[in-house]
Amino acid sequence: MVEVISRVEVPIACEDDVVVVRRRVRVLAGQRQLDSFAVAAVTTATSELVRNVFVHAGGGKAILEEVTDGTRYGLRATFIDEGPGIDDLERVLRGGYSTAHTMGLGLSGSRRLVDRFEIETEPGKGTCVKIEKWAPF
Amino acid sequence: MDHQKYLKLLRFDEAELASRRAFFKVGDEDLKRLADLRAFAEQHSDAVIDAFYEMLLGHAETKRFFPDEAAVRRVKRLQRDYFLGLFSGRCDLEYVQDRLRVGAAHERIGLSPKWYLGAYRQYLALLRTKLLADFDAERAELCAQSLERLVFFDMSIAIDTYIAANVETIGRHQHAIRELSTPVIRVHDRILLMPLVGTVDSLRASQIMETLLVRVVDEKARYVIIDIAGVPVVDTKVADSLVKTTSAVRLLGAETILTGISPPIARTIVQLGVEIVNMHTRARLQEGIELALELAGKVIVDRKPTG
Amino acid sequence: MIGSVPILRIGRTLLLSIQLELSDAVAETLQNDVLLAIEKHGTSSLVIDITGFDFVDTYVARILAETSKMARLMGTETVIVGMRPEVAATLVRMGYTMEGVRFALDLDEGLGLLGHVIAR
Repeated sequence: MVEVISRVEVPIACEDDVVVVRRRVRVLAGQRQLDSFAVAAVTTATSELVRNVFVHAGGGKAILEEVTDGTRYGLRATFIDEGPGIDDLERVLRGGYSTAHTMGLGLSGSRRLVDRFEIETEPGKGTCVKIEKWAPF
Repeated sequence: MDHQKYLKLLRFDEAELASRRAFFKVGDEDLKRLADLRAFAEQHSDAVIDAFYEMLLGHAETKRFFPDEAAVRRVKRLQRDYFLGLFSGRCDLEYVQDRLRVGAAHERIGLSPKWYLGAYRQYLALLRTKLLADFDAERAELCAQSLERLVFFDMSIAIDTYIAANVETIGRHQHAIRELSTPVIRVHDRILLMPLVGTVDSLRASQIMETLLVRVVDEKARYVIIDIAGVPVVDTKVADSLVKTTSAVRLLGAETILTGISPPIARTIVQLGVEIVNMHTRARLQEGIELALELAGKVIVDRKPTG
Repeated sequence: MIGSVPILRIGRTLLLSIQLELSDAVAETLQNDVLLAIEKHGTSSLVIDITGFDFVDTYVARILAETSKMARLMGTETVIVGMRPEVAATLVRMGYTMEGVRFALDLDEGLGLLGHVIAR
């Protein structure tokens, strides 16, 4: 059972928020005993996903949570937008899809960096991506 | 591991204390009720504890924890403090620390949870008899309930201690295995060797990459030799992880030489269609080392030219 | 802090030592400034020191790779130096291997790779 220790919501409204959100993630990940490789991984994934929210939906929000399963700590980040959604999700996740802003590589790449990756999207409604990165045993 | 460390490991703070007390229904009225029994507890402590140890000593497997009379006397003294603690009227962080200390001590001597739980049941049964003998049925029942709540609260802490200790042990072992399974040897100035032995699964593949990259930077290595002669199976996944590691090594500014490529491995790599890019490959480690030296501008020569 | 990055010129070499976190906008400005500097000074080599980066996402990686390729078109060879292990692992795991770009361990090595010999 995963328990949430802390939760913070950060708006994504302008380009500089990419920096703001990933900085917060880096600090949280460092606090929660993730090693330097895991910190770099989750910070990079965050950077990609926040940029997607800003570039493709014009904005949205990020929810950052410190979590524990009783034996380990982890970081969970959820990125929510009400943008156009993704038409061909499968292709995007394979990394074959590419727009001017390399959404394909951003999504498929960040998926390979985290321990858990969930995406819900509906064309015209928006997209919600949830990632988790856990400290090693 | 001492109890302070457990306190931290279990994240036992005021919030956790409040939540756990609420779940086990350890209320202030329970603590008050138990504090009122202080005289009763002191009066019966010797008898309860004697009966308790009689049970432990009467069982072969628990008896071995008490090698001699002196040991029994010592634990009885500690047990008395523990017992009276139930009637202290307190259930704060200091109390928890006290309980953690007991759990840590049990863990240290290897007393497993089953003995602990069984002994605790006995404790409760003994006390219930004493309560029924001394008080009217209604008060005895209320007191027994309060006692049960606090005892179960204690047990939850003890079990958490056992789990935390095990998790910590597993963590230490995993760390040791990690270090053993990803050895990096400096064979020459700026030349590193990582001999891989045994199965390479995805977790180990990622450790191999991370360990190697850190060492390349630490040692300012220019050439990295990965020897896979000791890897029994090289499938697409393993080959792919080696290619990834090589790519990452290149980003740091170093080159990779893959050695230990036997005919079956060469066949597999080609038949699986794995593209080996950005790396030199050699059949044997010896040639790999020679190549690294050559690339570094050095040569090995025979002292006396032959032929 | 987000601010400007100085572009140093040593002979025919440009040195870019990025010590701060780049926002997307600053990264793009930087690419532009570097290309302008190459044109202005007629340089032959460019060293980009990224020791200060504790992570590089695909956006910044793309800017770096593109800058290197653009510089090459203008006759300037680029070496990226000082990438941290965490950054290398992350990029490769994302499938971003930056083919066609040259790398070196540190500034010293990078200059050496470009044919410079630093007197000691």
